[in-house]
Amino acid sequence: MERVSGFIIILGTLLWLFSIIFLEGRWQWQMFAALVLTIGIFCAHFWEELRNTDSSGESGDGQE
Amino acid sequence: MARERVSQADEWQAWAQRYDIEGGIRTFESGLTVKVFVGALFVGLLMMPGSIYLGYVSGESGAGAAPWVAVILFTELARRSFTTARRQELYMLLGLTGAAVGSGMQYRSFIWYAYFINTPQAASYEIADKIPAWVVPAGDSVGVLTRSLLHPDWMLPIGVYLAGKLLGTLRSVSAQYILFRLTADLERLPYPMAPITAQGATALAETTGKEETWRWRVFSIGSMAGLIWGFLYIGVPSLTGVMMSTPIQILKIPWIDFTQSIEGFAPTGVFALRTDFGQMLFGFVLPFPIVMTEFIAAMATQFVLNPQILYRFEILHQWKPGLDVRAVGLYNGLDFWMSAGMGKSFSFAIVGMAASIPMLFKMRRSKKTAGERGTFAPPPNRGDFPIWLMGLLWLVGMGGFVWLIHWMVPNFPLSFLLGFAFLYTPLNSYITARTFGVLGRDLFDIPYLHEITFILSRYEEVDIWFAPLPDEDYGRGTQSWRVLELTGTTFTSNLAGTLLIMPILIVSGIVVMHFIWKIAPIPSAQYPYAQMMWPINATNECLWKTSLRDGNSQMLQAIRGDYVAAGFTGSLAIYGMLWYFKLPSMWFYGIVGGIGADPGSMVARLLGAIIGRFYMIKRFGMKRWYMFNPVLAAGFACGVGLIGMGTVAIALVSKAVIVKPF
Repeated sequence: MERVSGFIIILGTLLWLFSIIFLEGRWQWQMFAALVLTIGIFCAHFWEELRNTDSSGESGDGQE
Repeated sequence: MARERVSQADEWQAWAQRYDIEGGIRTFESGLTVKVFVGALFVGLLMMPGSIYLGYVSGESGAGAAPWVAVILFTELARRSFTTARRQELYMLLGLTGAAVGSGMQYRSFIWYAYFINTPQAASYEIADKIPAWVVPAGDSVGVLTRSLLHPDWMLPIGVYLAGKLLGTLRSVSAQYILFRLTADLERLPYPMAPITAQGATALAETTGKEETWRWRVFSIGSMAGLIWGFLYIGVPSLTGVMMSTPIQILKIPWIDFTQSIEGFAPTGVFALRTDFGQMLFGFVLPFPIVMTEFIAAMATQFVLNPQILYRFEILHQWKPGLDVRAVGLYNGLDFWMSAGMGKSFSFAIVGMAASIPMLFKMRRSKKTAGERGTFAPPPNRGDFPIWLMGLLWLVGMGGFVWLIHWMVPNFPLSFLLGFAFLYTPLNSYITARTFGVLGRDLFDIPYLHEITFILSRYEEVDIWFAPLPDEDYGRGTQSWRVLELTGTTFTSNLAGTLLIMPILIVSGIVVMHFIWKIAPIPSAQYPYAQMMWPINATNECLWKTSLRDGNSQMLQAIRGDYVAAGFTGSLAIYGMLWYFKLPSMWFYGIVGGIGADPGSMVARLLGAIIGRFYMIKRFGMKRWYMFNPVLAAGFACGVGLIGMGTVAIALVSKAVIVKPF
């Protein structure tokens, strides 16, 4: 699921860059890219939260 | 590159744990005593005039200082009287003094609209004669022209405000309580940021022991720094303003504008160095990754994105040489950044929903696996209220509020008001309460909800822009109930204190605001921050309030779908990339917050963050540094607040003296 989410996010980002550079930034294409990215981000978070309900808390201490 | 993936909830909870010095207690006592009530009133009302004055002079009210001043004074008095101050008393003192010192600012919209109604902007956008009488009296009325809030002309606006305040108190207390019971008692959400607030009071309660602790020393260092800074930044201009026609400013308030200096190599870029170095203290406490990425993103915008891309491709097309930061900001906003900013807001909403909705599922699953569930029965002696009573109070408060709005804007469709009041508000509040319970912050926010509503309702009158809408969010208020619980303060004593102090503050706030307005017109040279910012704020307000007029306003022309989409999709792409490369989600809020912003406004905060991160933490250790922070900030704000009080006192006295010509 993590790889699928990552793939969708990369796809959405590339699509957005393509729409900006080659399609004159038309809003319809940008919004399509946004839809793809939204699906990717939702998948990512669902996977992240539900992958293991036992994991909690300890990580993230030295994240500066 | 073998970074471990950390979920957003874990990341924010880990940050919150830095401030969590003590777990709290579970025995409950009343925090309301006569000495607490009198102490809060004394310090709060003493500092309120200074706080209002500072707000108009420098843009920072310093109101945050007053509660801590009260607590420090209270604990010192207790120590010298060989008694002890209980944490319940100190927490109550914090709350009541905060309410007292902030009570003057509740009337600031009256002063604003008294100015706005007579601005050339309001006249040229044809708003001035359409501002409803329940907002401000007519521009040529005696109450406005003589700058008197005590004139009968103000009766209607003040009456409407007071009715709204009464109904608002009913709604917020009851709804917050119900949501607290649901999320904290029944669902057992942790509220990770609540201990931070609780520890301020609990830590200071221990200082009433015999020996002097580090807190007093840290507070004194902060206050001396605040006194010196306050004298240079606020004292000198205010005092010279009393004696001279043009005040002397050692450091220009509110910024030193370098925009024209950089226009040679960065046309359309802005850089105005904000001179309020008190902001450094915010840098001490804000998460370092956010401050850093925000600054880098702002620099990249103003020195690369704006001049090299958006200007070259003629997206920023209204710019011309010689403009100052305000004009460049306005033109850049109309050309691109206003639209892109809307897109950014929508991306925050999507990211927030993506983070919070899976959390709901996780909580449900983890509850099942743990095989336990919180109980709805409250802990003994907490001072709880019957749920049915709170539900009834909320219904009365909300019903009355909807009626009031309907009376204010009778032609606006009632169905929208009812939908907001009884469908959107409960749902929105519940979701926010949950995200506060898990993350300690609000994630769920639908941007431009009012504007969308006005478009859908096809209502074109300007008066609706001045009316409140019943789209409320009580979720963030639930945290304060959790703090009460952690400090062991009974709910009944907190409610009693709030209700007792309210009428006193309503009266004293309006009297003080009246006298401050009498000192000099707001804005004027006496109030440099207001003088600098209010004209541009008036233009912005006119643009918004006329945005839906005739479907062809300047604002609607400025909003372009492709730029909104660019801001929206670009922000989502940044978030996605950060997630993909396992980078902290805090970077997202920093980067997206910084894009399009002026880096000069962040320099002081950045300095604070760097000093805190690379010197203070190494010098004192992380735990001690995070213990010092709130006390140091309180001391600094206290020092600045004292200077503000001193100068407002001198200004009031000098205005009260009439010099006779013989």
